[in-house]
Amino acid sequence: MNWISCRLIYYNVDIVTILSDDVVLNAQQITLSATVALLLVIGAAPLLAMFAASLTIDGTLSLMYYQALVSSRRAWTLLGQSLTLSSLTALCGTTIGVPLGILLGKTDLPLKHLFVVLFTLPLLLPPYFLAVAWSHVLGREGWLSEMAGGSLAEMGSAGLFGLRGSVLVLTTVFMPVAMLLTMAYLKTVDPRLEEAGRLVARWPRVLYGITLPMIRPGLAWGALLVFLLAVGEFSVPMYLRYDVFPVEILTQFSAFYDFGAATAAAVPLALLTVTVLIGEERFSGAPRQAMRGFMGAAEGSLIRLGAAGTGWLTGVGLVCVVLVILPLGGLVLQTSPSDYVEALNRGGDSLLHSLVYAASGATLLTLLGFFCGYLIHTHALRAWRWVDFLTLLLLVLPSPVIGIGLIGLWNRPATDWIYGTPMMILLGYMAQYLALTSRTTAAALAQIPASMDEAALVTGAGWFRRLLTITAPLAGPGLLAAWLVAYIFCLRDTGIAMLVYPPGHDTFPVRIFTLMANSPEGLVAALCVLMMMATLLPLAPLGLVMKRWSRVP
Amino acid sequence: MMAVGFQDVSKHYRERPAVTEFTLQVQPEERLVLLGPSGCGKTTVLRLLAGLIAPDHGHIAINDEVVAMDGRNLKGPEARALGMVFQDLALWPHLTVRGNLEFGLKAQGVPAAERQARIYKTLGLMQLQGYAEAWPGDLSGGQQQRTALARALVLSPKLLLMDEPLSSLDFELNFQLRKELLRLQRELRFTLIYVTHNLEEAFDIATRIVVMKDGRIERIGDVSEIRAHFQQLLYQSAATANGDDTSRLPCPP
Repeated sequence: MNWISCRLIYYNVDIVTILSDDVVLNAQQITLSATVALLLVIGAAPLLAMFAASLTIDGTLSLMYYQALVSSRRAWTLLGQSLTLSSLTALCGTTIGVPLGILLGKTDLPLKHLFVVLFTLPLLLPPYFLAVAWSHVLGREGWLSEMAGGSLAEMGSAGLFGLRGSVLVLTTVFMPVAMLLTMAYLKTVDPRLEEAGRLVARWPRVLYGITLPMIRPGLAWGALLVFLLAVGEFSVPMYLRYDVFPVEILTQFSAFYDFGAATAAAVPLALLTVTVLIGEERFSGAPRQAMRGFMGAAEGSLIRLGAAGTGWLTGVGLVCVVLVILPLGGLVLQTSPSDYVEALNRGGDSLLHSLVYAASGATLLTLLGFFCGYLIHTHALRAWRWVDFLTLLLLVLPSPVIGIGLIGLWNRPATDWIYGTPMMILLGYMAQYLALTSRTTAAALAQIPASMDEAALVTGAGWFRRLLTITAPLAGPGLLAAWLVAYIFCLRDTGIAMLVYPPGHDTFPVRIFTLMANSPEGLVAALCVLMMMATLLPLAPLGLVMKRWSRVP
Repeated sequence: MMAVGFQDVSKHYRERPAVTEFTLQVQPEERLVLLGPSGCGKTTVLRLLAGLIAPDHGHIAINDEVVAMDGRNLKGPEARALGMVFQDLALWPHLTVRGNLEFGLKAQGVPAAERQARIYKTLGLMQLQGYAEAWPGDLSGGQQQRTALARALVLSPKLLLMDEPLSSLDFELNFQLRKELLRLQRELRFTLIYVTHNLEEAFDIATRIVVMKDGRIERIGDVSEIRAHFQQLLYQSAATANGDDTSRLPCPP
């Protein structure tokens, strides 16, 4: 498409002729088709390349890697352990997350906004931070073990390393997913339906009989998401010495340099994810994307805790202390000023890399996510379902699977100009985290009345003009939120960066992960605290901007 | 005994006053219509009475018992023994017609056999026999309206609140359901408080009409008084706008 046709599209000509007079496409279709093509290159092609590579040995078709995998008793054991760990994490995460979501999203519990931030904190950090933090509390030399002393310390340490500790840490990390989804879905329930129930019943019965059944698909989706995120997590079980299947992929790749075997090992996890997602799509009672906003719940739909508020506050406070303040506070207390100086000396360059890559990745993700979100919201192309499914699949795929796929696709002489650069990290971010920005954008667009765009349409404005001057500004707070979420997830990423970073470009979480094994505890704790600050610092000013933005009528 | 009493009730939403110094008494079995333009506070009055929100000042009584005063609801909505039909009906989409009716009965601890009897009696009353297992989404507009009314009446309330329940219906269905509502009110003898901005609906249903404006009561009277008031307004309007078409009734101010 040349410059003139671009200008035409921007101003008032929606239909442009390209290639020949016979082929007439409109600007919207061209742009969205290009978005889908880009998504296929970034997200689908690595998976296909990975699958193809696992089926060939020295250029000939072979199932040898799969035969070796299927006949390996260790692989089955690891798969079983992975499923056990993720199932227990999903169970615990949902059991804690759903009641917390109701308390924080539906009641007048004091300090609820502070609790939301505190409970969400572990999700914003690389998962293994929590494992490190817990080891500083319950480990053999942890402060709680030292305080308890003797056999109690032994018990704490033994409990932390292995399945129980992995479940505890992963529950802390992924429970906020169930909590936040519960809060979000609660806002989709029409307050009138609850008020109609309140006329005849008390709140517990209304919650049980009206509210929760209506958001049941959302709650199930939360549990499933926790399961899928936990099944792909390797850093926590690795640190806590509980062998799981994703570690096998890393081992085959990093320790044995056997790319084919690593790829074959990645396929079962990819298949498991696809199967679970398809199953959920088939059997869920209501489509996930049908979230309708009744933001700013009506006064009548707020549960007033009254005299019981103090009791609930104490309970939630205790859970918060145990799950968040104890481990993360313990981590901060382990550090001294000299540790921070040492931490900056050892990891300052990678911290800078992380900030630059996370900001760049978030910007690219917001841009691509905007068009994907627009497509998902408007259903402008038939492919919208596939786009939604593919982005979601990529989000929940274990990161080593995506990392292996990216290496398989780009590690060839013709594309070495990409493979040897930090572009690989950005491609990885864009592949894995696109669902975060596309879904946030789609949700933001759903809040804009269709009449806004229609009013611009009748003035004769073309699609690009409407998109840039009406839709995007109206979705501004949503886009900013999308950038923020993408920034946090890019910054905390360990799995993709660990596999694809070019020499000299490691990110901060990767540097910490490698330093962790042989560094003093104070230094590791200081590195983790620096990472927390890098994650949280941009949240405050951006939060203020969003608050001010949301006040604009 | 008063069925409903408001005494100097005020309610603000953030800075904006919704209802100001609202004082009103409603007699048992009366059919009172709150009439006024959008945003005049009619729905707020209904929600205050239902206990869905609390008044900032003043007190509200039902059957001479104070149920809310000065920022507090002394009785929760479920304890006020009233029925309410919402403007958007608020039928629970995940429950069948029977489920919608049964929810409140279960909450009140009504035994299973009695529940079934009351559900079928009410469905019969509302001409919804055969629809007990239907989903709200599968019903026509009129059937949904009847289901919402049945859900409110199945608990045999002495006070029924209706928030513009017929506003989305075509004229014929609206007229038909109005007649049914009047029949039911005479039969079941409940007090009715009905919110609308439609003059014809108000004149048809009410025994007394409260005209509201900007959160305050502008005028109270029986149907003939309010009709005369609006005719007077029409006359003044016609007199000032010489030559204009005055054959259509204007909306109330």
